Amino acid sequence: MVIVGGGGTGGALAHDLALRGIRVVLVERHGLTSGTTGRHHGLLHSGARYAVNDPESAVECITENRILRRICPGSFEENDGLFVALEEADLEWRDRLVPACEASGIPTRWLTRLEALRLEPLLNPRLLGALQVPDATMDAMRMPLRFFATALANGADIRPYTEVVGLTGQAGCVTGVRVVDRATGREYEIGGDIVVNAAGPWGESIGCMGGVDVPVQPSPGVLVALRGRLCNMVVNRMHKSGDGDIVVPQRALSIVGTSSWVAEDPDDLAVPEDHVQRMLDEGSRLIPAVRTAAIRAAWSAARPLIGERGASTGRELSRTFKCYDHATEGVEGLVTISGGKGTTLRGMAELTADVVAHKLGVDAPCRTRDTVLLPHTAFHHARAA
Amino acid sequence: MMNERRGVAGWFDPRGRRLGGLAFIVNRLSGLGVLVYLYLHLLILTQLARGPVAWDAFVAFAGSPVVLAFDVLLLAGLLVHGLNGVRLALLGFGVVTGRGTALFVALMTGAVLIAAVGALRLFEVA
Amino acid sequence: MATLVDRPPEAVPAPGAAPVTATRVVRVRRTPRDGGAARWDRVEVPVSSSRMTVLDALTWIRSRVDPTLDVRHSCFHASCGTCGLRVDGRDVLACVTRLDDLREGEVSVEPLRNQPVVSDLVVDLEALYEALEPMAVPLVRSSTLVAGGRPAEGVPALGRFEDCIECGLCISACPIEATDAAYEGPAVLGAAWRVIDEPRGTDPASALAIVDGDQGAWRCHLAFECSEACPSEAEPGEHILHLRRGLLRRRVAAILRRRGTHEGSGR
Repeated sequence: MVIVGGGGTGGALAHDLALRGIRVVLVERHGLTSGTTGRHHGLLHSGARYAVNDPESAVECITENRILRRICPGSFEENDGLFVALEEADLEWRDRLVPACEASGIPTRWLTRLEALRLEPLLNPRLLGALQVPDATMDAMRMPLRFFATALANGADIRPYTEVVGLTGQAGCVTGVRVVDRATGREYEIGGDIVVNAAGPWGESIGCMGGVDVPVQPSPGVLVALRGRLCNMVVNRMHKSGDGDIVVPQRALSIVGTSSWVAEDPDDLAVPEDHVQRMLDEGSRLIPAVRTAAIRAAWSAARPLIGERGASTGRELSRTFKCYDHATEGVEGLVTISGGKGTTLRGMAELTADVVAHKLGVDAPCRTRDTVLLPHTAFHHARAA
Repeated sequence: MMNERRGVAGWFDPRGRRLGGLAFIVNRLSGLGVLVYLYLHLLILTQLARGPVAWDAFVAFAGSPVVLAFDVLLLAGLLVHGLNGVRLALLGFGVVTGRGTALFVALMTGAVLIAAVGALRLFEVA
Repeated sequence: MATLVDRPPEAVPAPGAAPVTATRVVRVRRTPRDGGAARWDRVEVPVSSSRMTVLDALTWIRSRVDPTLDVRHSCFHASCGTCGLRVDGRDVLACVTRLDDLREGEVSVEPLRNQPVVSDLVVDLEALYEALEPMAVPLVRSSTLVAGGRPAEGVPALGRFEDCIECGLCISACPIEATDAAYEGPAVLGAAWRVIDEPRGTDPASALAIVDGDQGAWRCHLAFECSEACPSEAEPGEHILHLRRGLLRRRVAAILRRRGTHEGSGR
């Protein structure tokens, strides 16, 4: 079978299917993790950000959070996160957040103003208190690369710089993909009983090739990387998730995110200057030093959110994931996985692999929950060998 | 795959180099210069074996301004290489940390001053 | 599917593309994958904002002019280390090198030095990854709320999650690397210092043995170009010197110990 898309989801899916003994070819038009996966802020979600409004996502997050710590040891800085209350209204939000976290199985600990400042001295000194949650910082490229490394070691065929230009087969039945080797310009076909569209925000165009409508909205957001570690824990604002309300420490940088809008073309993402300013304005409410720190980079990443046409900011779209078997729309052999986030890549892969295995009549169960992944460097060794 | 390891050209190419890299180039060049001088020196000493006439002719030649200019260059080379060597020893054995640039500037200023004084004296004596 | 309404839709207008203000000519070194002759390509690139980076220019060329241009990228903020290359003769990450910050005129873009070129702007960092593996450092800190991971049997070591982003810029900048393929190099030596300085439960003996060899810390000639090039403040040059001081102390201590036991037996 063929997987289209070399992001975290595609990598985790290749790993899952390889463990089930299914032959996999994965194609990616650029380098692995070159799309949305590598560009995210590097937050391993505890789920607390979604606990109140999107409990489905929150449960997925905390479940996968615990699994990933087990199967990717060393890929996370297990620094925990804080939800910081700055105003009375934030404390009202806490009264909804704490029970919501409890209901989703997310452990929390309330810290007084002084306790929070002792842990994070650069926080806004006017804070009213903070809630500690098991967020963590991940390496947005190397953690997913471990899925690719392990898949490769288990026999998956991974082909970066290979772009899908069409699907093969007759009307109503997809039997493979037509690809171009980007380095040489050579065009060829890869056959597969099933083609999985794991192209994230680019998934709509793959769906179009098969004549199906994939309800994916590219929802970009701006992120700003500041020089220096302004905090050691992930710092969130204790309110409904909005713009510029999270600071993620990442190596010698602090990442402030994010804004959110809805784009047509995920290849043509602007970095609007007013969004950069909003990140700095909002971020400095959490940590005043955000305003004075030097900017290292400002960039945009397109989330692949599931939604109907017409959404305008992307925030009203759920952060959960969905797997579509297009046979229900009359196109056999094509499956789309979309939505979700970096934290839930393994869970997305499990759901999709279950659908694929069922269609192929393979009854091997998912084993990715307990299979510890190879280090990211193993990917390069395996390719060199 | 093409191998891009540059070879000896990678030591001397000054493009894109900062002060530390330039110091590395100066040290290599002055080291090679002093090495060449050592070879010439031994060659000249063999003149002694060819009798007093040959040696006197060489001594007369050695007083010429061109040779004196070379002597100044030699002095400068020895000072640059020697003093930079002291800097590298101090840094390399961890005696001094993080002051590489300041040390380099100070020592090289010293080298230039001493070489200048040496040059004056050499031409005075001549 | 859960629906989620965070804010009124009109709160964030979809931004339009910024107007193009100028163009820059970018000269890109092209090396075919099959080993054919390398060449320079000159492309005029529209500059859409003052934040536009060399990486933005390269991806623009790839999508609008020549899809065969080979360039790696992932994070776009100097965290992944995949887009290392040489711009105007300096070793940099393309994602944080703004066109506006470069000198006037043509911008030259080449692959990193001292490492095999796979094609165009992509070099093979396999040797670096292999040498870094014994220098793995475990977690910086552990969660106080949930249990963390432990490496399982059969997994060589915990991954590295340190300041070094394994980009290869220091190897390209180092003059010793120009002539010596066997040299451990700044990234590996810098990583070794982290292991030895802060073992966090691991045994630094194997790292010490590697760096005390003749291709280890003593091979460095202190040009500090590695630290100048490092995009992640990992300071490999300074770490090599820390390493040397540590090694020297060990040697002196060993000599003193030997003398001490010798004198002791003489009495």
